[in-house]
Amino acid sequence: MLNTIMKTKLFGWVDRRTGAEAIIKSQLTEYPAPKNLNYMWNFGSLALLVLVIQILTGIFLAMYYKPSAAFSYGSYTVAFDSVERIMRDVNFGWLIRYMHAVGASAFFVVVYMHIGRGLYYGSYKEPRELLWIIGVVILLIMQGAAFFGYLLPWGQMSFWGATVITNLFGALPVIGEFLQEVLRGGFAVGDPTLNRFFSLHYLFPLLLVAIVGGHIHALHVVHSNNPEGIDLTKEEEKIMFHPYYTVKDAFGVAVFLLFYCYFVFFNPQAWGYFIEVDNYVPANNLSTPAHIAPVWYLTPWYTILRSFESKLLGVVMMGASLAILFALPFLDRSKVRSARYRPVFKQMVYLFFVTVIVLGYCGHSAPTPTLKLIGQIATTYYFAFFLLLLVVPKFEKTKPVPEGI
Amino acid sequence: MRFKQLLIAVGALAVLSFSQSAIANEGGGAALKHAEIDVTDQAQIRRGLTVFTDVCMGCHSATYVTYKGLMDYPEIDLSREAVDELRGDHAITEGMRTELSPEDAESSYGKVPPDLSLIVAARRGGADYIYSLMTGFENDPEGKIPEGNYNKYFTGHRIAMPDPLAWLDHDAEDTAQLEKDAQDVSAFLAFIADPHQNERRAIGCWVMGFLLLLVLVLWRLKVEVWKDVKH
Repeated sequence: MLNTIMKTKLFGWVDRRTGAEAIIKSQLTEYPAPKNLNYMWNFGSLALLVLVIQILTGIFLAMYYKPSAAFSYGSYTVAFDSVERIMRDVNFGWLIRYMHAVGASAFFVVVYMHIGRGLYYGSYKEPRELLWIIGVVILLIMQGAAFFGYLLPWGQMSFWGATVITNLFGALPVIGEFLQEVLRGGFAVGDPTLNRFFSLHYLFPLLLVAIVGGHIHALHVVHSNNPEGIDLTKEEEKIMFHPYYTVKDAFGVAVFLLFYCYFVFFNPQAWGYFIEVDNYVPANNLSTPAHIAPVWYLTPWYTILRSFESKLLGVVMMGASLAILFALPFLDRSKVRSARYRPVFKQMVYLFFVTVIVLGYCGHSAPTPTLKLIGQIATTYYFAFFLLLLVVPKFEKTKPVPEGI
Repeated sequence: MRFKQLLIAVGALAVLSFSQSAIANEGGGAALKHAEIDVTDQAQIRRGLTVFTDVCMGCHSATYVTYKGLMDYPEIDLSREAVDELRGDHAITEGMRTELSPEDAESSYGKVPPDLSLIVAARRGGADYIYSLMTGFENDPEGKIPEGNYNKYFTGHRIAMPDPLAWLDHDAEDTAQLEKDAQDVSAFLAFIADPHQNERRAIGCWVMGFLLLLVLVLWRLKVEVWKDVKH
């Protein structure tokens, strides 16, 4: 089909002015990909899909949303009202908003799977260090965008979540207080905070699009890693991206949509994991909810923060837990990429995945002494994993990697 | 161990963490009663609306539910005459608001009653919690909380809302009717918390059906395209 289109006169006219044919060939029809990629390689295209869903639904939501903390009736505010008007009065507003709210969680699900795949198969190693680092930047911007977005409904969790997180910046020495006031637009979270968070919530996805472009460009320079983690030298080990991976990605998209639409249409709150119960209560600065927890995708880092008695240390370690991801390609010097051929690393990385889930669970739950201890142990391993990578290659007996695939 | 096993392990952990929900239900420690409600049942929602306007609206509003909505939502579908009777002097586009002013509420009950538009979404346990609360008034076993302010299912048990259905000390023959009223109003509140929920689920069934077909077609297409690739 693509070939037929490329032979038309119109395409020829466009091609002479843009070089479109060369782009399509180099990026799709003659872009070589390893033939042995498994389904873990589907999550990158899924992340791109969810990004597009979020931007499109977000544009329509912004047409009806009003960022104002002014009171309308009782404890309801203009912002809270506008969200409810979207849910109740805008044609298919409920669909657009649930797609956006479920989409936020879906985005993190697919991106965490994507990161986990990169970790397991050593996709961060030479020559893909920069590809990995751009990916970490994407993760940070996503977390920022999600955090700004969660404030917008101006519910209890929006308000208190933002209060807790902006408080963290106040713990930093010297600039802390200044930073906190700039973020909030005042001494406490309020109307100015809502306005600037709305502006930033629109800005960050634009940054995401640009950086995702860079991520894909970098990928197309160094090409995909593969489950064996070896460099492919022979032509018969590769297949063209189109049609092989376009059709495989399309199949993955359909399977993803099946799960996504189940939540959108049948379980949009996801038992309070995607939209927290307390966020249906309008924001009230005089009434603190019994239990404040961020949405699930931020809870692992929240646990790391809570694991330290000193607030400053907690904030620093939380920052370090994300910053250490940048250093990963340089910490792990093993020549073998894939965990399939690294018996020690394989156990470590499995334990790391479990640790992140445990951290997430601890951060979501109301704090108890037992959970705190579990969280501290998990935090210790989280950092130990990265630091151990410095020494593991020195004694790890890797299995022989195959010559080809 | 390959990724398949990892996925199973992650899945099992996820199920485990869901099954023992991190934050307990509302209910002051007592297990909630299960409300027999059906948000597609017009008769039940209409009965619940009557309980709401006769009892709840004395103090509570449902400001996101307009009088016009009572005509427009197929789940309620009141006639113009019935709506006119309910709204009195209020404009048809207005939300359903109580006549009780916040100041009077504050002086009579010590706090302003919450708006009920989203109450089912805003409480853990949802409709079950509302139903349990309606039928949870008791005499304080320790005799500390005054009669009518003790509720078995309310956190801390001291509730500012005085027994709205007169559940306390009701006659045995009234039990069935009061239970029914409590369930009906829970159904109404569950409906108005998300008034497009039935439409959403109905559309969802078609969407899921379409996607199942799409998955099947794309899976066959993938297999067909890949059949010559040895991998």
